[in-house]
Amino acid sequence: MRLNASQITKIIGHRTIVKDVTLSINPGEIVVIFGPNGAGKTTLIKILSTLLRPTSGKLKIENTDAIADYLQVRHTLGVIVHEQLAYPVLTPYENLKFFGQMYDVEDIETRCNTLLDEVGLNRFIHEPVHTFSRGMTQRFMIAKALLHNPSILLLDEPFSGLDASAKQFVTDRITQEQQNDKSVVVTTHNIELGYIVGTRFLFMINGELEEIAHKNTIEQDTLQQMYEERLIDTVQKRL
Amino acid sequence: MKALRQITALIRKDLRLQFGSKETLALIFVFSVLVVLIFAFAFGPIFPDRLERGKLTASVLWTAFVFSGIITLNRSFTLERAHGALHGIRLTGVDAGSLYLSKVASSVIFLFLLEIVITPIALQLLDVFDVVTIEILLKLFGILFIGTLGFCSVGVLLAGISTSTTGGESLLSVLLLPLVIPIIMSGTKCTVSILVMGGLRDMLWLYMLIGSSLLFFASAYLLADAVIEE
Repeated sequence: MRLNASQITKIIGHRTIVKDVTLSINPGEIVVIFGPNGAGKTTLIKILSTLLRPTSGKLKIENTDAIADYLQVRHTLGVIVHEQLAYPVLTPYENLKFFGQMYDVEDIETRCNTLLDEVGLNRFIHEPVHTFSRGMTQRFMIAKALLHNPSILLLDEPFSGLDASAKQFVTDRITQEQQNDKSVVVTTHNIELGYIVGTRFLFMINGELEEIAHKNTIEQDTLQQMYEERLIDTVQKRL
Repeated sequence: MKALRQITALIRKDLRLQFGSKETLALIFVFSVLVVLIFAFAFGPIFPDRLERGKLTASVLWTAFVFSGIITLNRSFTLERAHGALHGIRLTGVDAGSLYLSKVASSVIFLFLLEIVITPIALQLLDVFDVVTIEILLKLFGILFIGTLGFCSVGVLLAGISTSTTGGESLLSVLLLPLVIPIIMSGTKCTVSILVMGGLRDMLWLYMLIGSSLLFFASAYLLADAVIEE
């Protein structure tokens, strides 16, 4: 599914968090948005996922106005944000089963077991989610995001706080979903991992989004260098 | 059909969370029993005549249930907000009306079960049990059910607002109590009438109870979208 955001702005209080962002994502594309903390990445993901209304701008998913008709598009989205978006006192199986019922997933029990098996949590299906480590929680959140087989994945900092094996798992899983023709947006400040998974790269600094390059036109070192230059420029402008 | 399945799943989940939380269960049960005990100790062991006993019991029951209700609603929404579970539910595409209905239903079920447990204890400790027949008890539970429905109708909406703010737990009491005065007033009057006369002497209070409950329910249902989505 195609996602089109046009001139999205979000103002909270007197602060403009997201400034005039225009972004288009096609099926099979993994768009990686790099940006430092406080750049507005999470707010943008929340707007794209319809959890937050923009102050101005348009958001379309396929041909549906996702701001006005948000109920019609939400089932097409798989979202990972900093919060678990689930119940920590319930087990991963109970959570997936409940959310599966809400999404009207067919053969929910098999789907839950398959997903928990895929993310390596099958040994922990009777443990409450609040007892999980950061890596296990992230695996659970991936399973939850994929539960209803969404066409668009919006992943906010999916690598943060993970060890090497968990990072490998997340990158593999994102790449696998691209092969399933899903549209994926990933936000991160980790250039190395972002470069591995991404097909197109953007920078988000101070709420502004800048299109940088497609993967086949840029090397990781160049991307890293450009990112650092942008950050230095921003700091110098503030001074 | 899908909306009905979603509402059923939401109610089941809410009840699972509410009955699964031992500390909340203990807190609400102990609080309610404590309210009854305090009044029983203060006014007992020799209780005044039937009219006074009826008035006292009605006051005790409604005091216990209103404050237990506030604790229940606060706890229920705190669980939803704590780790973004409410956002998770919103992302499933369920409409705010269904979410509101399920929250009201689960809160009413939970509080009504508490009332079924606490009411006989209060009747016994306040020396009213001997004059209460099965018929009177059923009428009493009927009034408590309508009152609880009205209370939860507006309480769920306000808990949704208050728990999204800092210090929201105390805010709920401040917002809710003035609004539910018609329900508490008419509910208490009906309860007194049932306990003293064995039935309703003046139907005005029952009409007021039903009317205010329905009004709150309808208004809150219409406002649910604005509260949950904004």
